[in-house]
Amino acid sequence: MFKRFVLLALASASLAAAAADDGKVKSLLRQADAYRLAMESGRVETEVRTFKAGVPDKTRQYAVYLKPGRRSLVLFRTATERGQKMLMLGDDYWLMMPSSQRPLRITAMQKLLGEASTGDVATMTWGEDYDGQQVGEEVIDGVPCLKLDLVGQRKGVSYPRIVLYLAKKDHHPVQAELYVASDKLAKLARFQLGDVEGRKQVTVMTLIDHLQKDRSTEVHYLSRTDRTLSDDYFNPAFLVRADVTQ
Amino acid sequence: MKPPYRQRRLLQGLAATLGVALSLQAGAGDGAADFGWTTRLVAEGHELRRDSPFAAGLDLTSFGRDRYRIEQELRGRAGPVSLLLTATESGREGARPDGRFVANEAYADFSVGGERFTVGKKVLSGDVAYAFRPIDVLQRESRLQVMPAQLEGIPMLSWDNFSVDGAWSVVIANPGHQRRGEAREDGSVALKLYRRAGAADLHGVLRNSNRYGLELGAAAAMVPSDALEIHASLLTQHRGERRLPLADTASVADLLRADRALVTETIAAPRKALVGGTWTTAEGLSVLGELWWDGTAPAAADWQRLARQAAQRRALLGLPGVPAAAVAGATAASTRMFEQGNLARRGLLTRLAWSDPGGGWSASADLLKSMEDGGWTLTTALAWQSDRLRFDAGLRRHGGHADSAYRLLPERGVAFVGLSVAY
Repeated sequence: MFKRFVLLALASASLAAAAADDGKVKSLLRQADAYRLAMESGRVETEVRTFKAGVPDKTRQYAVYLKPGRRSLVLFRTATERGQKMLMLGDDYWLMMPSSQRPLRITAMQKLLGEASTGDVATMTWGEDYDGQQVGEEVIDGVPCLKLDLVGQRKGVSYPRIVLYLAKKDHHPVQAELYVASDKLAKLARFQLGDVEGRKQVTVMTLIDHLQKDRSTEVHYLSRTDRTLSDDYFNPAFLVRADVTQ
Repeated sequence: MKPPYRQRRLLQGLAATLGVALSLQAGAGDGAADFGWTTRLVAEGHELRRDSPFAAGLDLTSFGRDRYRIEQELRGRAGPVSLLLTATESGREGARPDGRFVANEAYADFSVGGERFTVGKKVLSGDVAYAFRPIDVLQRESRLQVMPAQLEGIPMLSWDNFSVDGAWSVVIANPGHQRRGEAREDGSVALKLYRRAGAADLHGVLRNSNRYGLELGAAAAMVPSDALEIHASLLTQHRGERRLPLADTASVADLLRADRALVTETIAAPRKALVGGTWTTAEGLSVLGELWWDGTAPAAADWQRLARQAAQRRALLGLPGVPAAAVAGATAASTRMFEQGNLARRGLLTRLAWSDPGGGWSASADLLKSMEDGGWTLTTALAWQSDRLRFDAGLRRHGGHADSAYRLLPERGVAFVGLSVAY
C-alpha cells in the first residue's frame, strides 16, 4: 500500500513538474511576443527587403492588421502588388487579386510562395501557436539565452518546429531556427531590438534562408498602431470591399 | 489639322486621368488617398491559318492581324471612393490606331445604420473556378484570354450584410436596363450568399434577368490538406442562349446574307458544371485540373455544320450572279461563332505552373482540351516581376481534329509579350 502511494506521489510530482514547465514556456513565449507585438489588436506597417548573395534584390511593403484568435489581414502596398489582400483565419487563407475582385481560398503551400512568405509578415506571435519545453541554455552573439524547443499546435503554422533563443535577462527574442515539415532547417531568424516610444521592441527580423543558400530577407517593422477593425473585416466575403484604409 | 475624334478623346482622357492622379497624390500624405499608376505595353503576333475554311472572309475580320496596345492605368481609392481608370491606345495591322478612355471602376462603399452598401461601377466577378466560371452570372468574365485588358465593371447598387461566418448581398446590376446587346449589360437583380464551413467556402447565387429568367447557382472550395485545394461549381438557368450556324436546309440567298450567318437559339433549362483542384508543392510547382460541362456551348455537330457552310459559301464564289463581297461578308460574319465563352461543351484544362519560391520568375503551360471533338489549345508563358517592372511572354497554339472548334479557328496561334511599369 505504502509502495503504491509513493509511486502515485512520484507520478503526480513529475506530472506537476511537467505542467509547471509547460506553463513556464507559455509564460516565456508571452513575454517574448510582447517584444514583437505589445498589443492584442493593431496595425503593423512592414517593409520586407530581400537580398541575393548579399545584394539588395526587392523591397515590398505591407500593412498588417492583427486580431486575437489568430486573425490577420495583409494589405499589399508595393506598386506591382497594390490592391492585393490576404486574409488568414487560423489555418484558413484567402487571397484577393484586384484584377478579379473575388476572394480565393488558397492552401498553406500557396501562402508560402511569393517574394516573402506572407506568413513571416502576418504572424507576430508564438504564444497562440506553439508550445514546447526548455532544452538548455546557450550564448548567442554574446547574449546568454534560454533555448526552447517549440512544436506547432495546429497544422497551418508556417514552421511546424521552432528552436527559439530568448535572452535570459529579459526574455526578448534573440534568434530562432525555423524548421519546415520535413524537419529541415528552412530559415534562421535574428531579432534586432530598438527603442519604440520608450519601449524595447523588435524593429528588424533578419531571415537567413537555409534552403536557398544565397538569399536573405529583412523584415522591418516600421510602425505599430493600436487600431482594431471590426469582425466584418475578417470575413472573406468582405475582402471585395475597399473600406480598409490602405 | 485636327486630330481624329477618337484621338482627341484619348488625349482628353489621359489629361483627365493625370489630373485626377496629381490631385489625389497631393492628398495622399494625409493617408486618405492611395493611388498607383501602371503603364502597360502589350504586343501580339497572330499567325493566320491560310488553309482555313473561312479564308474567303478573313480580310473582313481581325483574325491573323498583329496588334498592340499601350495602357495607362490609375488604380486606388480616396476615402470611400475606389477608382480604376484606363486610357488605352491600340493598333492593329491594317487599321488606324484607336484611343479609348474608360472608367473601369468608380464606386463608393459606405455604411448606413450598420448596414453596408456599395454604389457605382464595379467588377462583380464570382465563382471559385479558373478556366470556366458557371456562377459568374453578373460580370460574365471571358476566361483564358491572352494578356487580357482590365475588366470593366458593371453599374450597380448592392446591400451587403456580414456575420462572423457568412454574408449575403442583394445586387441590382445595370439599374434601368432591360435586355441589351450583351448579357452582362442586361438589367438584373441577384442575391449572393456566402458561408464559411470549416475548411470549406460555400457560395450561392440567385439572379433574375429578362434574357435568362431565374438562374440558380452554387459553388464550393475546400482545402483538405496543406497542398490540395478542390472546388466545384454548378448553375442551372431557366433558359439559355447560344449562337449557331444556319440549318443545313438554308437557301443560297440565306447563306449569302451576313446578318443571317448565325442564329441565336434559346435553350430550355440548360446547366453548367465544373469540378477541379490544385496541388501545390513547397518548391513552387503546382498542377491545376478542371473538367466542365457547359450546356449553352455549341455541340461538335454545330461546328461541323459551320465548316460545311463555309465550304458551301466558298463554292459559290465565281458563280454567275454571286457577288464575291457577299460571300466574304457572310463568311466573316459566321466567324462570330468563335466569340462565345466556351467553344466546347465538355472541356478539360490541365495547367502546370512553377513560381520561384523566392519570387521573381514564374512559368506555366496550359492545355485546354475539348472532350467532345478532340480540339485543343496549348499556351506556354513565362513571367518575371521586380519591384516596379513586370515582363510576360508566351505562345499559344490551336490544334486537334480537322473539324474540331479549336482547329477550325482561323488562326494557328499567337505569340505575345507584355511589359508593365508600376509607380
